Amino acid sequence: MGKLRIMITVNHQKHEVDVEPYETLLDVLRNKLGLMGTKPGCREGECGACTVNLNGKAVLSCLMLAAQAAGKDVLTIEGLQEGARLHPLQEAFVKNSALQCGFCTPGMIMASKPLLDANPNPSEKDVRDSLTNNLCRCTGYKVIVDAVLDAAKSVNKKGAHDEN
Amino acid sequence: MAYFRPKEYCQPSNIAEFFDLLSKYQAKARIIAGGTDLLVQKPFGTECLIDISGLGLSYIKKTDSGIHIGATTKVVALENSPLLAQNPFAVLSEAAHAMAGPTVRNMATIGGNICNASPAADLPIALMVLNASVEIMGPGASRSLPIGEFFVNVNKTALKDDEFVLEIRIPRSPRSAGTSFLKLRRHQTAVDLALVNTAVSVEKTGNICDNVKIALGAVAKTAIYAIEAQKYLIGRKLDPEVIKSAAKIASDESQPINDIRGSADYRRRMVEVLVRRAIETCTRRCQLWEN
Repeated sequence: MGKLRIMITVNHQKHEVDVEPYETLLDVLRNKLGLMGTKPGCREGECGACTVNLNGKAVLSCLMLAAQAAGKDVLTIEGLQEGARLHPLQEAFVKNSALQCGFCTPGMIMASKPLLDANPNPSEKDVRDSLTNNLCRCTGYKVIVDAVLDAAKSVNKKGAHDEN
Repeated sequence: MAYFRPKEYCQPSNIAEFFDLLSKYQAKARIIAGGTDLLVQKPFGTECLIDISGLGLSYIKKTDSGIHIGATTKVVALENSPLLAQNPFAVLSEAAHAMAGPTVRNMATIGGNICNASPAADLPIALMVLNASVEIMGPGASRSLPIGEFFVNVNKTALKDDEFVLEIRIPRSPRSAGTSFLKLRRHQTAVDLALVNTAVSVEKTGNICDNVKIALGAVAKTAIYAIEAQKYLIGRKLDPEVIKSAAKIASDESQPINDIRGSADYRRRMVEVLVRRAIETCTRRCQLWEN
């Protein structure tokens, strides 16, 4: 039997891809769609580097078959910016120097986005809780948490501006 | 073949289709839902992955007989369900919240967690003190097993090759029952499996214990009830000395092993601490309802 043809929406774009039954979403994103922003870390659900959003929720793309994402909406780090404008989370990570090697960053940002979407005023504990599945071996986490809180502030400012 | 290279992935849309696939591939089929255990284990020799997430088994329902939870219900749904927000059912949402990290909880399912049958799993012990039953469906017949009899060994359940778990049923419980879930990890804020976990449920009149269930995880080949400790407590006054003795009995009943997370001796001592604290919490929560 072998290959399955699936329809999958990645970063607001529909794709028709042929996948193997055992291929993970992570491998299909990277190897078949060329989206290298989603990182393979441990490939067993420990590190969170491969975190993407599936229908608006943070999931681990290494523990999900591509076939299971068929018909669903996948958002990766590449889909966050609008044109040349970075997402507030991306801006805040740059501004707060919330990375050193950067390998965990896409996962950190994709784990934080659903939090900010659901709760634009998160506490430090909310941020830390939503990042418990994500490992960083460089920063000691403080700057990452600061960046997410900072992003929440600018999301709120933007929201207030939009209403005016 | 030495690799995980299933040739087929199927997502049946009804039970009949599901059993056709299962009987075709039998032991060479693997059921997948959340994937958070299966895609780590990557079992060799798997020929077909049967995804059961299209069978409509994601629900938490209140019925006349209690609460029914579909096998593919996500752990995050247990955490957030208003039906599980209050005592005594809150022990299940507490266990759900203690499990893995938020990203894994968005994917993992209750059926997968019990079918993986890890002795350290968090949901089974909570279900045990709630007297839950597992509704099992085979090609010809269905059967129901008390959750305590569902686990037969490390990663081994009472399921036959041609059966699967349809739902978990929690019977109505007296609102006066107090429950508690506690989990000890190597570092309490990190994502980790339990060194020891325990769930307890207490019903009492005045200060006399009418009924108690104590379930222990990570200290035997399966999750276990501390049967002797339960027997000891029933009919006794729940004062600090009695609670202490019960915790000691529970600790003696545990059969932990040494592993990278901790020594058997440390685990036995921690059973005592966790059981004592859990009974104390249950007692307080009973009182909340009495007032």
